Amino acid sequence: MEKYIQPFVDVCESVFREFIGAELITERPFFADKNDPHDWDISAVIGLTGEARGAVVISMKKPLALKLTNVLTGAEHEDLDDEVIDAIGEIINIIAGNAKRGLEESFRLVISLPTIVRGKKHTIMWPNEQARIICIPFKIFETESFCLSVAIESSEGV
Amino acid sequence: MKTVLVVDDSRIMRNIVKNTFSSMNIPCQFVEASNGKQALALLDGQKFDLVLLDWNMPELSGLDFLKTVRANDRYKSLPIIMVTSEAARYNVIEALKNGATDYIIKPVNEKSFREKLSKITF
Repeated sequence: MEKYIQPFVDVCESVFREFIGAELITERPFFADKNDPHDWDISAVIGLTGEARGAVVISMKKPLALKLTNVLTGAEHEDLDDEVIDAIGEIINIIAGNAKRGLEESFRLVISLPTIVRGKKHTIMWPNEQARIICIPFKIFETESFCLSVAIESSEGV
Repeated sequence: MKTVLVVDDSRIMRNIVKNTFSSMNIPCQFVEASNGKQALALLDGQKFDLVLLDWNMPELSGLDFLKTVRANDRYKSLPIIMVTSEAARYNVIEALKNGATDYIIKPVNEKSFREKLSKITF
């Protein structure tokens, strides 16, 4: 499964550079359990179907979500409102759609519309039991961080 | 002045597209739709010089919009550029086979718009 992760890392770095104008520092990916505690405030989820099944999720704390929205809209936001949801949903949409290019030798994927989950200690319901979840932590704007979590396995079994 | 129909379920993306045109000094009038169904209704009542079309949208996807529009002789020559995050080659091929005039992969920038617009003498 690990070989499927690199396209997400590459795309995440390039999307943040081109779309947000920010360089990322990629930290060491690790296997995560869906029950691991976290303190993210908002996650955006895209389901993956087709020749593989899984999901890709971006999770962050509120100040970073507000800052990213500010970069994209030029407007200040105080809460995780509709425009923030739109911004974070579009970021994960662009990451997932672009990652399909790097995965096309392995399988044809269909991506879902983004779903946003918000709130302290929110839970992501991962779509398949078997696939392991890899969390890729990124640092941005020197002091902020977010996590891109990916679980993907071939529909015929990896 | 040219009239452009921008179809994307993200308001932020619609604004980014409009701002990109402004920064390129291309004077246009924009009409917006947040899904393919809305776009079809707008197309029925107004003449457009260009459609910029997202792929993944609720109600009616960009691809289904494209198939519907191209099945109608009235819109055979209407330029429709897909503007989408769907970057896989099989997606690009599918869109072009179904009548997309061209294809831009998000995130968008001036360069990609200039290149594609020059081909359609917009």
